[in-house]
Amino acid sequence: MWNQVEQSLRESMSRVFTKIAMLLPGILAFIVALLIFIAIGWLFALIARRLLLAVKFDERIGRGSNAISEWSPTYTPTLLVTRVVFWGFVIIGVLLGLSAFEAGSTEFGISAYVLPYVPRIVGATIVLLIGNVVARFLSRSVLITAVNLNLSYARLLATGVKWLVLVLTAAMVLDHLSIGGEIVDLAFGILFGGIVLALSLAVGLGSRDLVSRSLKGETARPVEVPQPEKLHHF
Amino acid sequence: MVKIEFPESTRKKLEQIGAADLLIGITGAVSADELRTKVDAAFAQGNSFSKIVVASAGTETTDDLVNDADSRFHYVTYPLPLQDSGAVPWGEMGISQRSVLSIASSIGAQVCLVLHADANALQAQTIALLVQPVIENKCELVTPIYPFGKYEGLINSSILSPLVRALYGKRIRQPLPFDFSVSTRICSRLSQGDQRNGYTGPLLVWPATIPAIESATISQAYLDVQHPVHTDGLELSTVIAQLAGSAFLEMETHAAHWQRVRGSQPTPLWGTPVKSSTSSEPVDARPMIDSFLLGSSNLEEVWRLVLPPVTLLELKRLTRLTPEQFRMPDALWVRIVYDFALAHRLRTISRTHLLGAFTPLYLGWVASYVQEVAAVTPTAAEQRLEQLARAYEDNKPYLVSRWRWPDRFNP
Repeated sequence: MWNQVEQSLRESMSRVFTKIAMLLPGILAFIVALLIFIAIGWLFALIARRLLLAVKFDERIGRGSNAISEWSPTYTPTLLVTRVVFWGFVIIGVLLGLSAFEAGSTEFGISAYVLPYVPRIVGATIVLLIGNVVARFLSRSVLITAVNLNLSYARLLATGVKWLVLVLTAAMVLDHLSIGGEIVDLAFGILFGGIVLALSLAVGLGSRDLVSRSLKGETARPVEVPQPEKLHHF
Repeated sequence: MVKIEFPESTRKKLEQIGAADLLIGITGAVSADELRTKVDAAFAQGNSFSKIVVASAGTETTDDLVNDADSRFHYVTYPLPLQDSGAVPWGEMGISQRSVLSIASSIGAQVCLVLHADANALQAQTIALLVQPVIENKCELVTPIYPFGKYEGLINSSILSPLVRALYGKRIRQPLPFDFSVSTRICSRLSQGDQRNGYTGPLLVWPATIPAIESATISQAYLDVQHPVHTDGLELSTVIAQLAGSAFLEMETHAAHWQRVRGSQPTPLWGTPVKSSTSSEPVDARPMIDSFLLGSSNLEEVWRLVLPPVTLLELKRLTRLTPEQFRMPDALWVRIVYDFALAHRLRTISRTHLLGAFTPLYLGWVASYVQEVAAVTPTAAEQRLEQLARAYEDNKPYLVSRWRWPDRFNP
């Protein structure tokens, strides 16, 4: 009895080691492909950086428009381009590494399952990054504008805008990854509709008196004489 | 700056006119009849100029005006260049001023007199005050001093004028002049414009900064002229962003020059000071203090990216004061301006956000100032502004240190 158990364990261990041995060339091929493309990416990013600095890319872009610097003030256009080049090569390395992994191992179907999903992951990551940047930018814009308009609920407004954009981004990301299916659409619709309804009710109820007073008083209101401004900033 | 190009008809007319003694350029459209009436009135008592060219913006023909070879007066119109001049009224004025300077430079005028679009300054006394120093005293730039009350021109008094003085070493009261005169050399230099660095808005204080950098002889004239600025529908934050943004950008462009400048020199004054006709009644500072407090409670996360910890601590202390006690020390305000200028250069955050976050701080300074000068005479208020200007100069080493080593020097 004990001998049979020992025999069985030995056989299963042997199968595990065989499996690992069969996967090793594939993993090695994946790592080699990834490292090669990281090196190529680094080299191309370096060349792109030198080239863009030589043609004064930042100055040319800055002269035409401030859009890039407005949205991403800490990164120069050159830095953004070099990073895109580098990470583009890394992504290509990952894709080729997966193909090499499949070719190097006896297991089939991994790349057939993973590869079609990779562009979705890349797309979703880009959507997530852009959504975050947009949420942060819009939130700060709303906060500063609301403060300059002397709105006491400036922070609330800014936080609301930020979360609206983040919720929209999250829904887009999940939709892009095909996770959740119609539940995400439905949940997002309910959430977004709920927020808009809540805001409408808040504004409607809050300004009810104001509207009725202004409608009543419009006809009987005396003509206001504008007071001369005592303070002149310019 | 974009090079000013004139249409063929304007160029031909300027070639026909040839060299002139004086060019008077109006930075806006004035009807031909009104222009003639004002010019006739201004020169009714005679003058020593043999040829005077009067240029105004617009497309209205001036051919029906006196324009023959025997007359001393020649009229010409120039089109306003199609360029995004920004939302503020000064943007269009800056482009028109450059057009006038380009015309003067192209005909080699000995003196170029640039006047505001409303032509209110087109009068004998003003022309004499602005032109005589250039002809008789070899001044190369004469800027105006308008009769401002103690609550007028506060952006100029708190930011533009003391900043230009501390940076470029010239005590110019109105670095954003509506009316000024220049000699041939400075006219030629100003018409070339300035190099811009990633800025699409209008540059505004160049009539003062470029001559200061060129070591021009600058003087100022007291003018009894008012130019109402139409700012209806304009947000204060938009105006501050345009004016301060422009000054900060010019700081960046001329950094190599102003870092070598120490102290400031007074400029000769012409004419006699004119009293302002505006009211000097005390102003309620509470709304401005409220704006400052609202900014302090909401924008601290933005200010923290721009201002060093010591400054944030002092601002925090200000928020605990009662409205009657509310006073912003000069050194604190000056360092705030310098830190925002540095953040503008470093692009610490988006420039739109940066300049937007500056408005509550400015209102804090205004609140402090109006409370300080509420009970004093306009002359005493002027002295108070002089004290602020000295604070700008005293704190310039702080700016230079932070500008050169923004990471290492962060008190």
